[in-house]
Amino acid sequence: MELSAAWHTLSTGLVPPAALGLAAPRSSVAGPPKDYDLQVAIEVLQRYDLHSVVEEWFLEVLQTDLQANIAPEFWNCIAQYENTAEEPQCSLLLLDAFCLLKCRLDPYLHSMDLLEKWTKAGLLLGTGSQGLQEKVYTMFRAILFFSTTKNFQEMIQQFYSRSFKIYMRQWKRSEDKANEGESNMSDNEQESEAEESEPGGGGLQCAGCNCKKSQCWCPTAMDQFQQLNDILRRLNLLERVSADAVTNILHRMIEERMEWRCRGEYERSFLNEFQEWIEKVIGWLSRVFLQGGAATHPNPEAISTLKRWRCHVQRFFYRLYASMRIEELFSIIRDFPESKPAVDDLKYCLERTNQRQQLLSSLKGALEMRLLHPGVNTSDIITLYISAIKALRELDPSMVILEVACEPIRKYLRTREDTVRQIVAGLTGDAEGSGDLANELSKADPVTLENGQESDDDVSQPEDWVPDPVDADPGKSSSKRRSSDIISLLVSIYGSKDLFINEYRTLLADRLLHQFNYSAEREIRNVELLKLRFGEAQMHYCEVMLKDMADSRRINTNIRDEEQKLPEEERPPFSLVAVILSSEFWPPLKEEKLELPEQIKEAMEAYSKKYEKLKAMRTLNWKHHLGLVKLDVELADRTLSLSVSPVHAAIILHFQSKSTWTLDELSEVLKVPVTSLRRKMTLWLQQGVLREEPPGTFTVIEEEQKDRAEKVVLIDSDEEGDSAMASQADQKEEELQLFWTYIQAMLTNLESLSLERIHSMLKIFVMTGPMVTEIDIQELQGFLQKKVRDQQLIYSGGVYRLPKSCN
Amino acid sequence: MKVEIKCWHGVASWLWVANDENCGICRMAFNGCCPDCKVPGDDCPLVWGQCSHCFHMHCILKWLNSQQVQQHCPMCRQEWKFKE
Repeated sequence: MELSAAWHTLSTGLVPPAALGLAAPRSSVAGPPKDYDLQVAIEVLQRYDLHSVVEEWFLEVLQTDLQANIAPEFWNCIAQYENTAEEPQCSLLLLDAFCLLKCRLDPYLHSMDLLEKWTKAGLLLGTGSQGLQEKVYTMFRAILFFSTTKNFQEMIQQFYSRSFKIYMRQWKRSEDKANEGESNMSDNEQESEAEESEPGGGGLQCAGCNCKKSQCWCPTAMDQFQQLNDILRRLNLLERVSADAVTNILHRMIEERMEWRCRGEYERSFLNEFQEWIEKVIGWLSRVFLQGGAATHPNPEAISTLKRWRCHVQRFFYRLYASMRIEELFSIIRDFPESKPAVDDLKYCLERTNQRQQLLSSLKGALEMRLLHPGVNTSDIITLYISAIKALRELDPSMVILEVACEPIRKYLRTREDTVRQIVAGLTGDAEGSGDLANELSKADPVTLENGQESDDDVSQPEDWVPDPVDADPGKSSSKRRSSDIISLLVSIYGSKDLFINEYRTLLADRLLHQFNYSAEREIRNVELLKLRFGEAQMHYCEVMLKDMADSRRINTNIRDEEQKLPEEERPPFSLVAVILSSEFWPPLKEEKLELPEQIKEAMEAYSKKYEKLKAMRTLNWKHHLGLVKLDVELADRTLSLSVSPVHAAIILHFQSKSTWTLDELSEVLKVPVTSLRRKMTLWLQQGVLREEPPGTFTVIEEEQKDRAEKVVLIDSDEEGDSAMASQADQKEEELQLFWTYIQAMLTNLESLSLERIHSMLKIFVMTGPMVTEIDIQELQGFLQKKVRDQQLIYSGGVYRLPKSCN
Repeated sequence: MKVEIKCWHGVASWLWVANDENCGICRMAFNGCCPDCKVPGDDCPLVWGQCSHCFHMHCILKWLNSQQVQQHCPMCRQEWKFKE
């Protein structure tokens, strides 16, 4: 009897009667039993040894009630969301649903506290390792929020993002107030920022809640926000319900803000700005996770939660920011050094995130897509490569990123024919636009390109040693990588400096012989600078070339002085000035045949005679087709003053004796092939000195016919701008001819050979001499295929053999 | 029509009037210079012997200095005498 009464008291006291299926309506519980009565009851149960079932029973009832009543009720409430269109109603609904939930669960929570207390007092046995409280909370989460509907998630999301917006708005407003003393400019800026950030926010709308200012419900929203957080905290559901939403909001906000503030803006650093902004965000988070906003009761658990969040937000920011900059790295490199702040930011972020790999692959992709295709000029590629060297060196002093990411550029440049020429032109300051390389060259303390064996040991401070990043090429020493500068990197594209020296020599020769407008001082300076880098021996040829120029000038003066001593009538009819070359030291000159008119040849012979007198046992070999002639063409009604090439001069000189020539006749006297002669004629046609009528016959126009429409003569790609030097390709061809005799001998003896065999045999016999000519297998294949086309070789079944007639 | 040449800039290369291309001692081109020299021409001249063989002056002097007893032309083994 006593037991039954005690159980009744306990059961009605601990759980709401409705949960037990009793008739009494939930609302009208008449005076629930006092805590004291309950304690008496439990003591009775204890006497009968039945107290052990109490907790289990309590959990059982809670579970049933949750499943049968509370959960459906709650979700029904939420389901009404579909009928609500307006946001304020919707958040009100959400709050109501949670209030209801709280009021349903409050009795249980109260009882739970009581049971805990009893357990502590020893009246109950406790529920094993997992505390009762924990079990109850787990049950809430498990039954109520095991699966949440999409609508619910949307509601939560909307609710939190609204409160976030309002919070940030309020914060900004208070800051604006604080800044009011400052200049109007910054105020305006902030105002415009605020407007930009709210795309729909006109002047009449509250930026916080997007409603008309008169209907602003910001304070209500913040109030609801506070209440909901309190409820969730009480039910220990905060993390379960809002963590996703909060994370989403933060991520979206960071993304949006970054997109709006940072994209395409490389000239200032954003790290500090975002750091401040993140602090603001943390302020909002503390509203969510800490009791009553500002830390009134700093509860250690909440503080650690907050710390975790701060860490998360920062990390997320770094990652996102780094990703964005990585994506834009191509443009950042292009804008370097203006974009240095962006590079520094990226460097800072990369140290904190693990995105090197992403950077490498993304940059490689961008380079290949935007730079390395046939539509881009070689000089532009080189310019970008130089910027990349500068920017990536800033980003990663170990130069590993540079080495890995720019490998495609280097590989690509190797396939372009004019790369060397462009780099050399850049070095000597000839290329328009970038003076970068020329500046780099004149820098003090250059890195010599003599590749001495350096070791890693010579780092001055052993403590400062840093291991190379994992993606470094282990084959290369880090000190070499670190010490390489722009020029050495560019020169090493081809792996040898000889190629560069040769190209430089060709360019120099070109300037000296073809253009006649060089400045001796600048050339000497360039050669001196290059000597510092490439070494004395390599630049020796160029020095001799420059010395030849100086010597020629001296000889010319000498000879002219002598001429001056002669009586008037014996003087030569025009002044002949020669550039006298030391042929061994100049690049091979293009050979062209040209027969000059008698008077010129005589003058040259006279000059040679005088030279022979000056320099015993030496004579001159004239290159008739090279040079520059200044002349006046006097016609009946006009005089033209021109500077032309010797061929052009020779042509027009012939027209002095005879005013009409056919192309064939001219070709005969000049010993120039008809095709190239026709090209040369265009200059005179264009100048209006000659006319072609009928085709193939040229006549002097003594008097200009004013009425005749001016004849436009198209110059079909004249070699006017061409180099006086034999091209690299021609030189290579000549070298390959050397191999051809060997290959013929091989095939005569061994009948047939595969490509690989030929290559390896050439390596053994030919490429070992003092004059090492390298040939790689592709080049050899190309060469052999050409021979096959010329029917000098037969290719079948993977082997080459000589045709029968050759044997 | 009359054409008046004001100035003709020509290009020529100089060469030694010798009966061979290369120096018989150092095997370098006469028009180049001997291995010890940097600059060809005046700074590294040729000399002729009475036997009509010629060499870089520096090369033949080195050769003659290394000959203890009699001085021979390295090419034809005749006694070496400079051609006047």
